[in-house]
Amino acid sequence: MTPRAGRVRKPGVAFFDFTCCEGCQLDALNLTEDQIMDLLRAVEIVEFREVKTGGCESYDISFVEGSIAREEDADRLRDIRERSKTVIALGACAHIGGVNCLRNLVPADAALQEVYGDAAGDYDILDTVLPIDAVIDVDYVIPGCPINPEEFARTVADLLLGKEPRLPRHPVCVECKMAGNLCVFEKGQTCVGPITRAGCKAICVTAGRHCWGCRGLVDDPNIDAQREILDDAGLTVEQILEEFRIYFSCGKEAL
Amino acid sequence: MRAYDILIIDGEPIVRESIREWLARAGYNVEAVGSVDDALEAASEHEIHVAVADHRPDNAGAIDMLCRVKSEHPKITTVLIASQPSHTVEEAAAQACEVDHVLRPFPPDRLERLIRETMRSIHAEREGPVGVGLAPEPLAEVVEPRETFVLSSVALKALFDSLAASNRVFAVVEREGKYSYQAVADFAELSLDFDTTLLPPTRFLFPPRETLLDLRLGASPAAEPVVSEEASVLFGVHPYDLRAIELLDEVFMGQQPDPNYIARRRNTILIGIECLRPSATAFAPSMDADVVESGFDLMLAPVNGDFAVIVGTERGSKILQGRDGIRAPTDAEIAALSAQREAASKRYRVQLSVSRARLPRLLEDYYDDPYWGDRSRTCLSCGSCVMVCPTCFCFDVADQVDLDLSTARRVRRWDGCMLSDFALVASGENFRATREDRFRHRMFRKGKYLVERYGIVGCVGCGRCTTACLPRIASPAEAWNEIAEIDRAERRRTRTLRGKADSYVPHMATLKRVAPLTEREKVFELRLPRDQEVGHQPGQFVMVSVPGIGEAPISIASSPTRRGSIELAIRDTGNVTHAMHGLAPGAVLGVRGPFGNGFPLEALEWRDLILIAGGIGLFPLRSLIQYVADRRDRFGDVTILYGARSPEERVFTVDLAEWSRREDLTLRQTVDQGSEAWGGHVGVITTLIPSIVIQPAKTMAVVVGPPVMYRFVIGELKKKGLADDQIAVSLERHMKCGTGKCGHCQINGIYACQDGPVFTLEELNVLQEAVA
Repeated sequence: MTPRAGRVRKPGVAFFDFTCCEGCQLDALNLTEDQIMDLLRAVEIVEFREVKTGGCESYDISFVEGSIAREEDADRLRDIRERSKTVIALGACAHIGGVNCLRNLVPADAALQEVYGDAAGDYDILDTVLPIDAVIDVDYVIPGCPINPEEFARTVADLLLGKEPRLPRHPVCVECKMAGNLCVFEKGQTCVGPITRAGCKAICVTAGRHCWGCRGLVDDPNIDAQREILDDAGLTVEQILEEFRIYFSCGKEAL
Repeated sequence: MRAYDILIIDGEPIVRESIREWLARAGYNVEAVGSVDDALEAASEHEIHVAVADHRPDNAGAIDMLCRVKSEHPKITTVLIASQPSHTVEEAAAQACEVDHVLRPFPPDRLERLIRETMRSIHAEREGPVGVGLAPEPLAEVVEPRETFVLSSVALKALFDSLAASNRVFAVVEREGKYSYQAVADFAELSLDFDTTLLPPTRFLFPPRETLLDLRLGASPAAEPVVSEEASVLFGVHPYDLRAIELLDEVFMGQQPDPNYIARRRNTILIGIECLRPSATAFAPSMDADVVESGFDLMLAPVNGDFAVIVGTERGSKILQGRDGIRAPTDAEIAALSAQREAASKRYRVQLSVSRARLPRLLEDYYDDPYWGDRSRTCLSCGSCVMVCPTCFCFDVADQVDLDLSTARRVRRWDGCMLSDFALVASGENFRATREDRFRHRMFRKGKYLVERYGIVGCVGCGRCTTACLPRIASPAEAWNEIAEIDRAERRRTRTLRGKADSYVPHMATLKRVAPLTEREKVFELRLPRDQEVGHQPGQFVMVSVPGIGEAPISIASSPTRRGSIELAIRDTGNVTHAMHGLAPGAVLGVRGPFGNGFPLEALEWRDLILIAGGIGLFPLRSLIQYVADRRDRFGDVTILYGARSPEERVFTVDLAEWSRREDLTLRQTVDQGSEAWGGHVGVITTLIPSIVIQPAKTMAVVVGPPVMYRFVIGELKKKGLADDQIAVSLERHMKCGTGKCGHCQINGIYACQDGPVFTLEELNVLQEAVA
């Protein structure tokens, strides 16, 4: 009897979440039916709290959503790192801290007091909220708030093919112009598209808003020039901080 | 028998018709039927390539229907669309009759792609292998002379409607006070009076993203070109954008033609509209792009409530054929057209302060100027300037893999030299790493590189980049004007600092010695005051003057290696030379110079030399021969050929005798007419050349003589295997100033007194006026 060749083991993929809304995990599955079938044919999803129970010892690819707000989260994250071949930050919270960093604008004690009142003493939080690369080494990033499902699909396909996933190095302006949008500044408003990494197809501006910077900065942002154009548009430093603090409060992405 | 590409079989009329409409819009001939009997009838009456049926509960017989079609017409490719993807359906289809393809309905373009591939392989089978890439075919033929007609606005609307009936039409639409090209079906929506659009219409020829290839991965990879042949009309394109399309045509349809661009360009009708309301940042007239004579099928211009239409091509002429409401323009309308064009050209607020033609050299001179660093300090590297530019065409190419890991697309998308990673290579090296590098590159590309490469200006002055740039630094006109201003300031500065205002004041030289050479020629030895050296190179000349008589250019006949004085050999031929012939030692003469470039010593050193002089051509050449004799070890074999009309007319006979005695020089002489005393060679100078032995690879020739001599001597030298850059000649020209101003010595664009008088043949080839 000819021994049957053993089934080739599919890469094991896991999803984890920390401080976040879990929207990016949802968007990771916001693929076409075909893509989901293709994905399930190519990988084995071994741990994913949103869609299945159970866990696994080790992972080929771990997608981590959320930022780190408590010491126990940091420990758990380090444990995931040890058991994962590849760790990918999924979305703005994991990548740059995301909206959770708004908490960094006030002292931790005050934040606890504000939220939990008398019960504040029951909780222990880090002094500041951290993006995951402040705790562990991160291999790749899928940025955005939320992530772009197409970028997720492409990253997975690239990794499975052994190709280095690559983020756009240019700013949102490029995709915004390709989309044929009128510049936000020309409408008398302000925007951080010129220093924010592209890949979102400029959806916010296309939908009539401005870029908030959720995908983080480009590699070599000209922050001084960005300040000057915001200044020219009539914004004071305080107004800039107020307007754009959502994604610029982690200290990592200072405006 | 009609040929249908696709047959749709579906019992549900709504489904049937919507699939039919969608595929017809994609350009296919589609027949749709409701039952298998109708399908079989259609298949036997017509030629059908693909049969499609949708597997749904209410169209349950889909598999059977396809199978029956397939069994009677095995050549037809059968496609089953299965809304509920399940293996049962696939297996059922396979078991029943091996339906060729089972497709899920999403994404919807999958069916279109499959049909496209099927059709392509059918055509390929019929026509044999098709090479990848289209041959560059000429575009619609240009018509001359370009005729002008007038259309009423009602007739223009009818023209638009007829174009829109069978093509996608992109025209300018206003939104929030800004204009952009959109697909327009209703004439009432479009604007023909606009300043400029956010994005240029070039994106319909060269889109922001496009698939170049469909790829198959795995063990037997394959690449299929994807070329869209969809027809469209650009309705309302300003002249500056047409000028930009001219550049794109040259880039994509000249050398190494681009199949995707060609297909779009060939299938795109261009209808221009004159720009009467320029944007505040535009400078099209400075770039010769506010009015164009060609590059459109039709060109519109509003005139007194109607529209003038100029026919640019055969295709344009056909569009107008047989239309109502077309008439010839009146004289008043023709006058009005040119008057409004004139008025429009005055409405531009930005202007280039330097001639377009001077830009390449101007920029070259200021490559290292700190200006580029200063100006680009606030550059965000956001790429907005290049994204909105009609003449930008740089792109990136990347493979986008599907999650099935078996298919991918090779996609090209706009890229730009202003983006920080544009010149980044995999090893991490960035060849234009700084904002300054990139900013300067863009300005050079627009003002210099593209013009030099394609002969078409790289900027059309549309002003879009100026508007799009947040730090307000992107305008080429501003940058070039500022460089021109730096240049003017620099020139002003050096004019006053460096320009010793004594260019015309001669040194007063003393005549030390005068000796006759022949009846008409004498040699004069001059010494500058305080034993100054003239500091010349062999082949240069000085302006010599006799006060009151005048000044004349005289080449220096002695080598700078003979220090202390210079020798001038002069024929008594004009006022100045005649006066000089009457002077005795001790007389004082004016000397200015030296001028000109001299013989190319660097090219001559270490080579074998053939030095050829005819008549008094030996005067300048003697300076070189002396130089070579004095630095003999720096040259290879040296052969001197000298020809004169008669033995008596030979000049510098003492020198000739000395050179002939020297063993390290070979001298051959000839005279046109011999005499009894002459025992040497007789014949024109060219007769000396055939017998000399040369090694062409290491030889340089220098020829000086009367113009008539050059052609024949050069012919003989070329027979010996010398190339144009191995032959140098010295040209005589009328000269008055020696400083590149008076204009007498100009040969085409160059001045013999500064850039010459010595030229290689290679240099002369581009100077039509230099007869040599």
